[in-house]
Amino acid sequence: MSDDTLLDRLQRKTDGRNIDSRAGILEGEGSQQRVKDPEPARHGMDVLSTVPSRSGPDSAEAPSYYGMPVLKEPLWIWTVPAYFYVGGVAGAASVLGVALESFGGRRLERLAERCHTVATAGDIVSAGLLIHDLGRPSRFLNMLRVFRPTSPMSVGSWVLAGSGAVNSAAWVLRRRPGVLGTLGRVAGRMGALLGLPLAGYTAVLVSNTAVPLWQQVGRTLPLFFMSSATASAGSLLSLFPHSKAEERVLRRFRIAGKVAELFTREAVELEARQVAEVGRPLRTGASGALWMLSRTCSMAGLVVDVLPGRSRWKQVTADVLSTVGAVAARYGIIQAGKASARNPQATFQGQRQGLGAAQVDGNTTASDGKPLSFPLPVLGQGAARTAPRPEAPYARFMVTQPEP
Amino acid sequence: MGSRKGFFTDTTLCIGCKACEVACKQWNQLPDDGFHFTGMSYDQTAHLGASTWRHVAFVERPVPLQGQASGAGDFSWLMMSDVCKHCQRAGCLEACPTGAIVRTEFDTVYVQPDVCNGCGYCVSACPFGVIDRREDDGRAWKCTLCYDRIGDDQTPACAKACPTASIQYGDLDELHARAETRVRDLHQRGVTDAYLYGKDAENQPGTGGLNAFFLLLDKPEVYNLPPDPVVPTKKAARSWASVAMGAVGMVAVAVGAVVLGREG
Repeated sequence: MSDDTLLDRLQRKTDGRNIDSRAGILEGEGSQQRVKDPEPARHGMDVLSTVPSRSGPDSAEAPSYYGMPVLKEPLWIWTVPAYFYVGGVAGAASVLGVALESFGGRRLERLAERCHTVATAGDIVSAGLLIHDLGRPSRFLNMLRVFRPTSPMSVGSWVLAGSGAVNSAAWVLRRRPGVLGTLGRVAGRMGALLGLPLAGYTAVLVSNTAVPLWQQVGRTLPLFFMSSATASAGSLLSLFPHSKAEERVLRRFRIAGKVAELFTREAVELEARQVAEVGRPLRTGASGALWMLSRTCSMAGLVVDVLPGRSRWKQVTADVLSTVGAVAARYGIIQAGKASARNPQATFQGQRQGLGAAQVDGNTTASDGKPLSFPLPVLGQGAARTAPRPEAPYARFMVTQPEP
Repeated sequence: MGSRKGFFTDTTLCIGCKACEVACKQWNQLPDDGFHFTGMSYDQTAHLGASTWRHVAFVERPVPLQGQASGAGDFSWLMMSDVCKHCQRAGCLEACPTGAIVRTEFDTVYVQPDVCNGCGYCVSACPFGVIDRREDDGRAWKCTLCYDRIGDDQTPACAKACPTASIQYGDLDELHARAETRVRDLHQRGVTDAYLYGKDAENQPGTGGLNAFFLLLDKPEVYNLPPDPVVPTKKAARSWASVAMGAVGMVAVAVGAVVLGREG
């Protein structure tokens, strides 16, 4: 249209709904949207095992809407679990680096240097992996548009960006004499300070979602991720050639991490198992296989590590096993979360057992002191108290009680 | 302007005509979702998504409607026009790292398409599975409660198109009163199954109440609604506490390894 004003043209670019009123053609952003696969290839007629009209609510105990998922599946691609591993290694390595610098003395200086190099490289690789998930480099900058404490994604972006910046500065300046060197060492300490949340926030990131499995393991998953980060950083650093003195430190660091990983993994499993449907993806299917692989490799890594003998090949075997275990654990957790989001009963049953809002605030009474009739869910408490009358089977879900 | 607006969806009045779905797509210029046949009911769009901001669910039940006898035997249909709930505490809003999701002057939740970064975190943070990512550019879209219409004192497209007043739009306080009256009326007429889903913080403490709430006749699950949803942020504090604990442990392990491992 030739008689458009500049304002018209600017608005057309951004607001997403525009119509060429003369031609009646939709030309806004929304209209550009296309579904990827409008008509998937049909492979013959499906024979339903049930009458369609009867296949709705599955059963009185476990109803659902034709078994369709309630939640949308998490969308993260393969780079995100990879980042969980790399970010964890970077965080743990920077912490060890500063500990070595502060307490290690001259003989361990080279190991400290190596820790800082691993941390800096890890930060840079992490940023690359995240950018690959977002699609465009500018989108990583956009993440730093605001700081929002309620969003672990926002907190994490700032932590990663901050730790990348200070670690890089430390890596460049550390060896310089005078003020610059001091600045570099201060930056290194800040990197370690940020490395702690960098290793753990990713667990908060996943557990601060509606995905039933991730939400459920919110207490233990950060501990698992952080101990696993310790084990992976220790294993990765041990893969580099190192001296006997360095081995003494590295051995203590990685074995402590591996033992902690072993116990926190069990804690994660226990927490997930509170609701059968929620814990299932950790035992079955592809996610279960990944989780099992991870458990086997991590345990084997620990066992090989503590076996007597100091040969190099044994050390390498242990480190590789631990690394595979840590990476597989990240992928397993992500896959299991996706599987639990697909299963509507995982969402429903956790909430019915009082693990939804009722659990968070102890929501059992209303503001006027009366027991809540809805959404209480709490089987065994709410249900028993207000037994449904046969003529009103859903009476316990009512807000307004029926007139007597 | 600026009063709290919302939807009251009275599912007892819904006839499943899908006028709301079509009106929404037309006003918001959303494309069709492909012409699939789900094979389980007359529900063709199946769920809310980036290009489906209203979705009519067809619940087919092997039980008769309360207080009614039908020639079809033990069978009844429940229809429900689902939409973004515009929660008082919105999971998507609290999760959004870029500030793309905002609360408007009408107390509704709005995604600014020009700010959205496509990280997809809001998608996992919604306890109702409403917001979804567009496939072509990865940005998240959902019902805007016709932000562009209500600013001009117009009714949102779906409510305007609804022929049975199943979708009602207005000031939240007024809608609450209307909904309470309707439930009481239904109960008096013998439909004691009727209840309100997510009306306010008391009925749905996990989300602080919904600006788009529903009158339902069966358990929330049969409509694909979670029975006791909670905004994930409410559970985040204990995860952060675990991170703090882990941090203490990590420092102890690092310092311990160095102190015990150094020679001399």
